[in-house]
Amino acid sequence: MNHAWRPLILIVALLVVLLTVRWFLVPSDFMAKNGDYKYQWHRVGSEKFWRDEFTVKHKGREFCKQCHEDKIELVADSGHARVQCENCHVMFNPEKKGHPVDLKADFGYLLDIGIDRSRELCKRCHSKLPYRPKEFTSLTKGVKPFKMIDPQEHNPGEECVDCHDVHRTGFK
Amino acid sequence: MKQMNLTRRKLLKMGMLSVCGTMIPLSALEIFKPEALATTLDHPYSQKKRWAFVVDTTKCVGCGMCVKACKLENEIPFDAEVTRTWIERYVLTNKGDVLIDSPHGDRYGYTKNDPEGHDLTDAETLKGFFVPKLCNHCEKPSCVQVCPVGATYKTDDGVVLVDRTWCIGCGYCITNCPYFARFFHPVYNTAEKCTFCYHRISKGLKSACVDACAFGVRKIGMLHDPDSEVFKIITTQRTMVLKPEYGNEPHVFYLGLDHIVR
Repeated sequence: MNHAWRPLILIVALLVVLLTVRWFLVPSDFMAKNGDYKYQWHRVGSEKFWRDEFTVKHKGREFCKQCHEDKIELVADSGHARVQCENCHVMFNPEKKGHPVDLKADFGYLLDIGIDRSRELCKRCHSKLPYRPKEFTSLTKGVKPFKMIDPQEHNPGEECVDCHDVHRTGFK
Repeated sequence: MKQMNLTRRKLLKMGMLSVCGTMIPLSALEIFKPEALATTLDHPYSQKKRWAFVVDTTKCVGCGMCVKACKLENEIPFDAEVTRTWIERYVLTNKGDVLIDSPHGDRYGYTKNDPEGHDLTDAETLKGFFVPKLCNHCEKPSCVQVCPVGATYKTDDGVVLVDRTWCIGCGYCITNCPYFARFFHPVYNTAEKCTFCYHRISKGLKSACVDACAFGVRKIGMLHDPDSEVFKIITTQRTMVLKPEYGNEPHVFYLGLDHIVR
């Protein structure tokens, strides 16, 4: 054999090895969708993961309504009509969580539900900042002044829920 | 030898014509295509089957409920200093300083007038506002372009996603996003970003942050759907996008932005 052919054999062998390895490593659904190598070169199965396999955790009022219909109706008629139950009742601080029914086992609900009575929770929206919008426009009833208090002056040390009924948005 | 028919007049005429012809760029002829003409007449968004987002900054109070909902919905460890969406606060003081901060990405809400740690009185505050930020799901995402392994991509309906099983964690996309919307997931150690809650919007639900906003700041919808709130706002109001100079064609449209926003 001519010495010039030997490197060619090596190249072909390397190519075969490369293609074999590639065959096993690259998933069959890895492709350039719509021929778009720039933005759609990916494993198509990954779309399914984000679309179908990733779980929905916040289930909204309809979920809570199964047991707490009275509360849902109360809130729907109040200034907090647009506030989701989960905004206040889903806990990120585990020491405050607690629900009489095991939601995870019985309802497949994955978040931690609890009651946070701290001023900190109410202050997130209602503490007075000069650049907070003065009007609340989200209610179907029309535009209302947005209620803000200065936490330093407004009954410091007291819990908001001692006087305020947050579900009715009125006094107790 | 054959007699040449080319006169000096003819040569100059043809020469001038070819010079004029080469000066017309191909793009100038585009306008004569009927479909190109149609796009300038129709609303540019009417044919795009694509998700888009609207943020009305004039309504935002900075409560951070969206950030909290997003972190819990999308399994981003709550105490980690990374987040898919966050709210920035911009305050202009009477000394002319622009203070910009976003403590903990605003997951605990803004409760004091203390931008960048300066306790300001009402008199010292000339103006201020909140700007919620998230991935802009660009039409030409520069983060996707730089991924060397094809681990991040744009879906047919315009959502930019990351394949966690395929990402090698090189971080090119994180440095290439002009909006700083990407980060490393502390558990999976792969690139992570807002998905517009693709698992929710594909099922007819709204994104977690949209649902959590009691003030109607955030809206998500299809650009080609005339009934969607997003379509109505973009077609009737003056919207802006962040950093248009990058040419990414971002698809989060803002109402009420200010020139101090960056």
